[in-house]
Amino acid sequence: MYRDLREFLNKLEQEGQLVHIHDEIMPEPDIRAIGRAATDLPNGPAVMMDNIKGYRGKRAVINVHGSWANSALMFGLSKDATLKEQFFNLVELTKRWDNNEGSVRYVDKAPCQEVVITKDINLFELIPLYRINAYDGGCYFSKASVISQDPEDPDSIDKENIGTYRLHVQGKDIIGMQALAFHDLSIHLAKVEPYNKPLPVVIALGVDPALTLMASTPIAYDKSEYKYASALNGIPQEITKAVTCNIDVPAGAEYVIEGEIIPRQRFPEGPFGEFPGSYSGVRRQVRIKVKAVTHRKDPIFENLYIGRPWTEHDNIVGLNTSVMLYKQLKETMPEVEVVNAIYQHGLTVIISTANRFGGYAKSVAFRVASTPHGINYCKNIILVDADVDPFNLVQVMWALSTRVRADKDVIVIPNTPGMPLDPSSDPPGMGSKLIIDATTPTSPDKVSREVRMLDQIPKAAAFEKIISDLQKSVAGRR
Amino acid sequence: MKCVRCLNDAATKLADAPDGSGAWEMYGCSSCNFTWRSTEEEEVINPDKRDPYFQLAGVNLDDLMVLVPVPPLRK
Repeated sequence: MYRDLREFLNKLEQEGQLVHIHDEIMPEPDIRAIGRAATDLPNGPAVMMDNIKGYRGKRAVINVHGSWANSALMFGLSKDATLKEQFFNLVELTKRWDNNEGSVRYVDKAPCQEVVITKDINLFELIPLYRINAYDGGCYFSKASVISQDPEDPDSIDKENIGTYRLHVQGKDIIGMQALAFHDLSIHLAKVEPYNKPLPVVIALGVDPALTLMASTPIAYDKSEYKYASALNGIPQEITKAVTCNIDVPAGAEYVIEGEIIPRQRFPEGPFGEFPGSYSGVRRQVRIKVKAVTHRKDPIFENLYIGRPWTEHDNIVGLNTSVMLYKQLKETMPEVEVVNAIYQHGLTVIISTANRFGGYAKSVAFRVASTPHGINYCKNIILVDADVDPFNLVQVMWALSTRVRADKDVIVIPNTPGMPLDPSSDPPGMGSKLIIDATTPTSPDKVSREVRMLDQIPKAAAFEKIISDLQKSVAGRR
Repeated sequence: MKCVRCLNDAATKLADAPDGSGAWEMYGCSSCNFTWRSTEEEEVINPDKRDPYFQLAGVNLDDLMVLVPVPPLRK
């Protein structure tokens, strides 16, 4: 689909989903306000800023993934595609992963290396950085792709990892990073740090939108995010070697920051406003020493606003999380129709399922609560019937209103694993699970009343188009 | 100079506005790694106006939690 960020930005602009702010703005507090506003607008556009005070001549863009319209365009769908349509489109696309359909292609004279800087590096001068939230510890990269290789198998593209880890610019050429112990980058680091050896890492900013998606999607250790992104895009992922190390970098990236993790040291990092809408604390984390910065001519600094949901972060992880849980459920539970896990990375999940027999929906809840992601994340689990679209909250509220018997259908399971960034997880890492079964009871579950549902009206679909076209032409005449 | 967050005398200027306009300076603390720009809001860069919840004055920075511990040294 898109070889690089610029191709996607062109598409967004053609579709009316990219705007330019040419007025002079302050890095703080204006860019944060712009990011907040763009994501709050229904189908909000990406916003390009080219007149940031003190950074004359530099450009920054925000909210690139920050609406479902933009997300639909990323997948080659119409910008009006519903969430359910985008969900099933992604389910289809992920079959390409199972068929190993992605590939990489090395290119010479990569655009990301049009300009190469190896001395007097000052990130504050090179990139139009800004503080995202008022009490963050500094300027953060919130949308970076961090690339590292398995030190025991550095030529393996499959074991090469790309992950989005938050990055705190702490000095002219030093960056703090949070990568948790179970993240693949930490597995790479663990192979060299006992021997006091550094781990080369590369930070790519402004990559093609499918690669950003893959960098935030948990996939197996020996699966390549480059190949998966290529499978989604339907074209080979173009890469090139970094200038200071063996790592493969996206050839079309806007900025590439090359460096290495200093072994056996930890430095204060944070706080940072996180996706549940609260700040995480100051902790000692690894530090990257920067050795080179390369970039395209006239580069664009791409970052995202993260804060009180709903934000661009939610758009990036929402459908992946939903599709991943859906595939895991479908392995043993074919009755599952659709999974909506877009709320705070699946903290609340709504699943549409048929009931094979009485009580079945609760079993679907148990299964989602024991998937690798669901163990920590899926705490509020709502089950709805197969005829309810879990992405349509009006229908979900209807199901809650008319299909819940609180004495039979609401269960709380105490003292289960929780997610530390969830501010209601207390102590951090512990929680409870809530199951609300909003499905229609099925035999042998007894219902003593006769209920006859009103029929759905298939002919309405044709009239929807007629009426909508009439509405547009009336509006056009005004 | 004094860091606005941990109040240690460990801050220096990191950058001037790169377009030569003199629009702002960037400062950073080598002790707690806080950075700030001279044009930010008072509630962010004035130690007397910052929310005390986010201050690190008097905090032992060496005692902060380490999420990924340094492994034992091996030869």
